[in-house]
Amino acid sequence: MQLGKLRIPWLGGKTDDDDPYGDFFLNQPAQDPKNQIDTRIRGSREGHVYPAKVDTHTPAIMTEHVKELYRFFGACSSGILDLSAHPELRPEGDDHPYAVIGVFKAAVDPRSHPGIGGQAVVLDGAFATFNLGAIIREWGFRATRVPAIDGDRAAAAAGLGALNRAGRLVTPQFGAQVYVADVILTDLPVAPDR
Amino acid sequence: MAITERSVETPAAPGGSGAPEPFATPYLGRTVRIVGPVENVDPNQTPHAKAGRGELGKAVFHWRNNTVSKDPLARVAYDTHAADQNNHINTFLRKGASGDINPRRVPVNDPAKMAAHIKKVARIFGADVVGIADTHPAYMFNGSYMDDKFATGGALPEDIEALARRLPYIIVAPAAWDYDLIQAHRHHIGDAAYDFTLLKTSMIYSALEGYIREMGYTALRNAVNPQAAALAAGVGELGRNGMIITEKFGARVHMYDAILTDLPLVADQPLDIGVEDFCKVCRKCAVTCPTNSITFDEKVVFNGVEKYKINWETCYKLRPITAEYWGQCLTCVTICPYTKPNAWWRTLAVQTLKRTPIPFRGVIVRGLKWLDDTFWGTIPRKRVRWLGYDTGVKPGERACTIPGCTAQHNTEGPKVDVPLSEMGFYMPLKENTNRFVKRG
Repeated sequence: MQLGKLRIPWLGGKTDDDDPYGDFFLNQPAQDPKNQIDTRIRGSREGHVYPAKVDTHTPAIMTEHVKELYRFFGACSSGILDLSAHPELRPEGDDHPYAVIGVFKAAVDPRSHPGIGGQAVVLDGAFATFNLGAIIREWGFRATRVPAIDGDRAAAAAGLGALNRAGRLVTPQFGAQVYVADVILTDLPVAPDR
Repeated sequence: MAITERSVETPAAPGGSGAPEPFATPYLGRTVRIVGPVENVDPNQTPHAKAGRGELGKAVFHWRNNTVSKDPLARVAYDTHAADQNNHINTFLRKGASGDINPRRVPVNDPAKMAAHIKKVARIFGADVVGIADTHPAYMFNGSYMDDKFATGGALPEDIEALARRLPYIIVAPAAWDYDLIQAHRHHIGDAAYDFTLLKTSMIYSALEGYIREMGYTALRNAVNPQAAALAAGVGELGRNGMIITEKFGARVHMYDAILTDLPLVADQPLDIGVEDFCKVCRKCAVTCPTNSITFDEKVVFNGVEKYKINWETCYKLRPITAEYWGQCLTCVTICPYTKPNAWWRTLAVQTLKRTPIPFRGVIVRGLKWLDDTFWGTIPRKRVRWLGYDTGVKPGERACTIPGCTAQHNTEGPKVDVPLSEMGFYMPLKENTNRFVKRG
């Protein structure tokens, strides 16, 4: 005998079992990559840095602003990492002093769900990192998205959680049900997290 | 950019051979009535297109085409005021080529389940309200709508009626602006809430369009008047302020676009949340509109449609005058009694109005308006602080009011020596508005 999923009927609502198209949404990879919008955003060309720098507040306050912007764009938590203290995370030849990391709550793991629905959280992350990077550049500072950096390790180093044995980020708030968006490298004067 | 779309197969006209049945006059709820022939709107005659061509005057033309915003957030969020288009996400969302339609179509045996699925998908992508309407030729533009200065509308791929029959459903899936930030309307903070939510809505539609194509069905954008579609889809009702007023978010939802599709769905019905009854009495948007663009009078018939008609031209012409301090006015959105936090007391008020028989709603409306005036005031001027911005500082003055900030700012003025109150600064535009529309 096999027990089905545990349900709490008084909380109501339909489950994914009622959706005959749920599996297609989560697991069917796009036959045309142009229909997958996150790849379009992540592959976009970055704009220039605005020639005039804005007045910056103290680094601690600029950190708050960056985190507030990440919250505004949908991240559940975010952190700042001093790359000089973590040279192993710094891409070769890069000289940005800080990394900005955003963590998003993920209903499903995008690494094991290649469908457009499985990648929805990647889209959220791409939207946030595009706009946050662009805002920092419009503030007059350098900011670039680097998908190559291991986001989970960077997030753990920034104190956003711990790594499990599979090398995935586990946060106090949502456990392993999170996705770390592309890391943004910047020279904006911010105060790194400990 | 002209509308381009590729169809996998063209279904036979419903009803078999012979001429198809003519479209019946659609029902759009109590706030809007179609009473005569409707001429399809030419997208080239809509406000942004006219402004871009200079038909609204030199000031609007230069504001639209030749202005880079001083505000860094606006340079990212607003394409026509960006310093670099590559810092604006719509450059890649709207101008990128659409993907192909999957030749292996997902079979749909139960359109109701597909409708529930597509609504769930839209919500996962970030939509706050989702509705589905039956397509009607009256909702459609007579060309492709693109609201940016780099592309012009093109022709629809086929005749409007034929298109309405081939793509029989419209999906409307907007996102709502942040309530707290929209309190800082007439300010860069309110602009950020408005513009970034618009970009999010653009992303939602792009993602939804891609997903529908992956399922093997056609998805066509920029062809439908989104307000008409939203009314038909039960997303909201049309207010005196010319905005769609939704059940949960009031007027803080922008009808950005809609998707025409042949995906088998089940359409929703128009909504009645009492906007018709409220707008007859309230008029708070008309009182506070800085350009007197919102009518105090009754509905009029315009292009075969009976509705409250705003003077969009005077509304639009405010923008270059205030561009240094804000981009979007939004006074009519913020003051609308339906635009409130999504709390239990708001739900109670809307549900009470909704469930009251229409002849008795007048009494309830007067009571609710009194409560709104008493507790929320007659002018929206809450003080909001966000990032380094502060609506307590007079527009044009520069001051850092962040507690604990010790940075040496390069501002011309004093650091914090500006009078600040708990109220947001409210630029008294009203006395200057006779330049727009003279009253009394």
